[in-house]
Amino acid sequence: MFKAVYNQASDMPISIIIFTIMLTCLGLISLFSISMHQFGDLAITTFTKQLLFLIPAIVGFLTILFIPKYIIHKYIYAAYSLMLILILIPFLFDTIAGTHRWINIGLPVGVQPSEFAKWIMVVALARYLSDHNLRIKRFTTILFPIFIALVPAIIILQQPDLGTAIILLTPILPMLYWVGARPFHLFILVAPVLSIATAFHTISFTVWAILMGSVLYLTQPRLFFGVMFYFGNIFLGLLSPFLWNSLRPYQQKRILTLFNPELDPLGAAYQTIQSKVAIGSGGFFGKGLGLGTQTHLKFLPVQESDFIVSVIGEEFGFITISIMLIIFSLFILKIVKLAFLAKERFPGLVLIGIGTIFMAHVFVNTAMSTGMIPVKGLPLPFISAGGSFLLSCFIMIGLIIKMSDESIE
Amino acid sequence: MLKSKNLVPRSRLLAANSVIIFVFTILLFRFFHIQIYGYNKYKIRADINRIRAIPTAAPRGMILDRYGQILVDNYPTYILTGLPNEMGNENWSFSVISNCTAIDTAILIDNFDRYFRGRFIPSRIIKDLTFDQLSCIEEHKHELAGINYIQFSERSFPSDVNMSHVLGYVKEIDRSLMSNMGDTEEYDVGDLIGWQGLEKQYENRLRGEKGLSFLQVDAFGREVGKVKDINDIKPIPGQDVFTTIDLGLQKTLEKAMSRYIGIALVTDPVTGRILAFVSSPDFSPDIFTGNTTLREWRDIVNDPTKPLLNRITNGLYPPGSTFKMITAIALLEGLMIEQDEEFECAGIYQFGDRVFKCWKVSGHGKVNLDQAITQSCNIFFYQAVQRVSLNRFINLCQNFGFGSKTGIDLPNELAGLVPTRDYMNRRYTSRGWSRGHLLNIALGQGELLATPIQLAVYINKIATKGNTFIPHFLLSKVPESTNSINLNKETWVNIENYLFNAVNHKYGTGLAADPKINGLKVYGKTGTAQNPHGDDHAWFVGYAKDGNQMASTIILVENGGGGGKIAAPIARIAFKHLFNKNIEDRLAVK
Repeated sequence: MFKAVYNQASDMPISIIIFTIMLTCLGLISLFSISMHQFGDLAITTFTKQLLFLIPAIVGFLTILFIPKYIIHKYIYAAYSLMLILILIPFLFDTIAGTHRWINIGLPVGVQPSEFAKWIMVVALARYLSDHNLRIKRFTTILFPIFIALVPAIIILQQPDLGTAIILLTPILPMLYWVGARPFHLFILVAPVLSIATAFHTISFTVWAILMGSVLYLTQPRLFFGVMFYFGNIFLGLLSPFLWNSLRPYQQKRILTLFNPELDPLGAAYQTIQSKVAIGSGGFFGKGLGLGTQTHLKFLPVQESDFIVSVIGEEFGFITISIMLIIFSLFILKIVKLAFLAKERFPGLVLIGIGTIFMAHVFVNTAMSTGMIPVKGLPLPFISAGGSFLLSCFIMIGLIIKMSDESIE
Repeated sequence: MLKSKNLVPRSRLLAANSVIIFVFTILLFRFFHIQIYGYNKYKIRADINRIRAIPTAAPRGMILDRYGQILVDNYPTYILTGLPNEMGNENWSFSVISNCTAIDTAILIDNFDRYFRGRFIPSRIIKDLTFDQLSCIEEHKHELAGINYIQFSERSFPSDVNMSHVLGYVKEIDRSLMSNMGDTEEYDVGDLIGWQGLEKQYENRLRGEKGLSFLQVDAFGREVGKVKDINDIKPIPGQDVFTTIDLGLQKTLEKAMSRYIGIALVTDPVTGRILAFVSSPDFSPDIFTGNTTLREWRDIVNDPTKPLLNRITNGLYPPGSTFKMITAIALLEGLMIEQDEEFECAGIYQFGDRVFKCWKVSGHGKVNLDQAITQSCNIFFYQAVQRVSLNRFINLCQNFGFGSKTGIDLPNELAGLVPTRDYMNRRYTSRGWSRGHLLNIALGQGELLATPIQLAVYINKIATKGNTFIPHFLLSKVPESTNSINLNKETWVNIENYLFNAVNHKYGTGLAADPKINGLKVYGKTGTAQNPHGDDHAWFVGYAKDGNQMASTIILVENGGGGGKIAAPIARIAFKHLFNKNIEDRLAVK
């Protein structure tokens, strides 16, 4: 058995491992810098904690390598059901930091089951979509995957954790696309969301209406469907401002808070501004390790997780940020390439799903830190502090290695 | 299980790659925009974030006498401060400090609250820590989290004159004062501000300019150290103020006046400079520094002799016979009297239904103007003043500076009162103004009220034949002329002769004012002003000349009795000190 693992390791896509090590090291250096000026016991800084978290992470990574692919395929629905139960467990207990995200397991650190929901959901989805009886060209076929993703997403939204909920939904479209769903069907899926989203802005709604008309004209659906679809969407868009206005202010606020947890303009603006100041003042070469004033004078909020990229930007400069972004892009391009090279559909889909999850994390985190999108608490893979997330990331690396391995079957 | 083949057209790979590269390009551009394009903007923002400019106090200028002897200096004291955020158990800290300093905890807490400016700014607990107190607190340092001491400049008074009314005092700005000061950038809580006397008058010179020390602060406003790459701005010390005061003379007169309630004022008529300024009783200027207790303070405020009152600029007195020269000048200027014209003084004079008396009960007999001033005969003036028109008399008073502020460089001077016709008609509506009032005023009594500093201007004008300057303390000040007064030269000469006789003639009332120094001529007039509240006030106004050197003096002893007996000898002390031929004796501070 160990020989099998050794063979597997020697056949691993080595670049994935190298990228992982590089990003993890960058994360550790950043956390070391943050810890330099932390008060209290030296032994339990963010840095040392993260070092300790690496142990279960590597164990998790190796465990995945031991599990044969067919076992994963066979038991994934059971794992999915277990996962649904796990993400419900926190609701049984008191909130931790105001949310139901963590399960207290008697250790100083809690476990965040929603982190594992990401890849379990991806694998479950991959199994469903790789069924050889699947008739992907039919629209109704693509509704079930949405259901698979939506159930844990809705539960997680109640924790509340909008960031993770959004991440859970992102792999659906790429995976459907990869497996050959009609682009028009995907368009139908996205259309109502965009209709509502653009309805609050006249110009964008007009552009959207024209775009939707063009797509319908080009794809030539049946006339009845096309007309229904088009006007249904327009109607939905026109209706939504009225629906919105008919809500009571506290209901409106509740919805707004859902999409922007830091609705308090001072609070959200403060975080974004301080993060941008930190990144901007770093310049090309950065201020140097441990010399970031924004970081060490505590102007940066949640700097060890959500805003870790601001620390890197401030202390190590644009040069390091570019290298980091290039590594991330090569990493994700490599995953997609592995997906393309996979001989079977199941591993290919798992790779696409995991790639999407990494991609979504990197985009949301950096875009938020630079003020491109509203503040959503999402960590940066391998770099942000956090035990459950690091373990989850390493398990996904294990899955990538596993799924890209063609030699076992 | 894995039967479905992964048949993916290359186009999908390309589409996926394009999306990935597109997204990362946008992110990279975004970082470029912030870090390279916006670098300067965000660098400044980060600096503003982290740097707090802390003002550093500028040492206040000294106040010196005309020869450079120090009247007011600074000395370093220690102040105990507490940083509210770091003080754990405040009550415990206060009780430890109270044990060390023997100051009641209630006072400590009261101070602490008074100077409280925020959780991260140290608030003052005690000032003027002694070395013993310091070492005791240092011993208990481990129990006193957030307690520190800093150096602070306090005003000190090395010369042992009081001069409290001249020097004034500084006040430390506390929170309630700060809120009354409105928008000010120069001052902050804990700063010193000149509150009275020269400290207030020359606040702008003495204050100097605060410096700035740049400290790094964190997001909670806590100081975390010095900023390395920015240099501090050094404070500009306040300028020293050289006064016109002659410390030796001041000391001599303070001593001479210490037994009396009253004033002694010496000025130089030629320049308007003030050489000595004693308002007695006074108080040690130290009471405004240190830890004056409420009780001591209450004693001073409630003292019936009113030590806080500056009698020279704010005491209102009837000038009595010292005012007679005004009548004399009015008569001479109007050519209403001959030099040898005599009036009979029988010791008593009836005017209408009122009876006026001379101080000499037996009467002076026949006296002319010269004798009337020399011997200070009242009856002469009661009769002679009737020739003068009221308006003319009042105008003359005003020309000599009565009824308006002199413009001395001290704050809050009073203007006194010259009763004009309007004023009298308003006050005595039924009867209004009458000649009887003029008789009173001519003798410096009645409604007329003057401050001693006004008398100084009056006598200086006589001494310089109208060419004197506003009295002042600032040595470097370009003297400002007083309002011009145009009299015949003969009038000036005559008046001067009368004043000379008053001090030198054998019947003169002011004989006691002459220190008998070779070459020194002393001129003067005594006064014994009736006072409705008690015994007469003793006055002496006069001046002494030795060649070009001149000094005038105003002496007042409240309820002292006869001016010739009580006030004139004090003037002699002043003249003796000033015109002593031995310069070293004069400079010596006894």
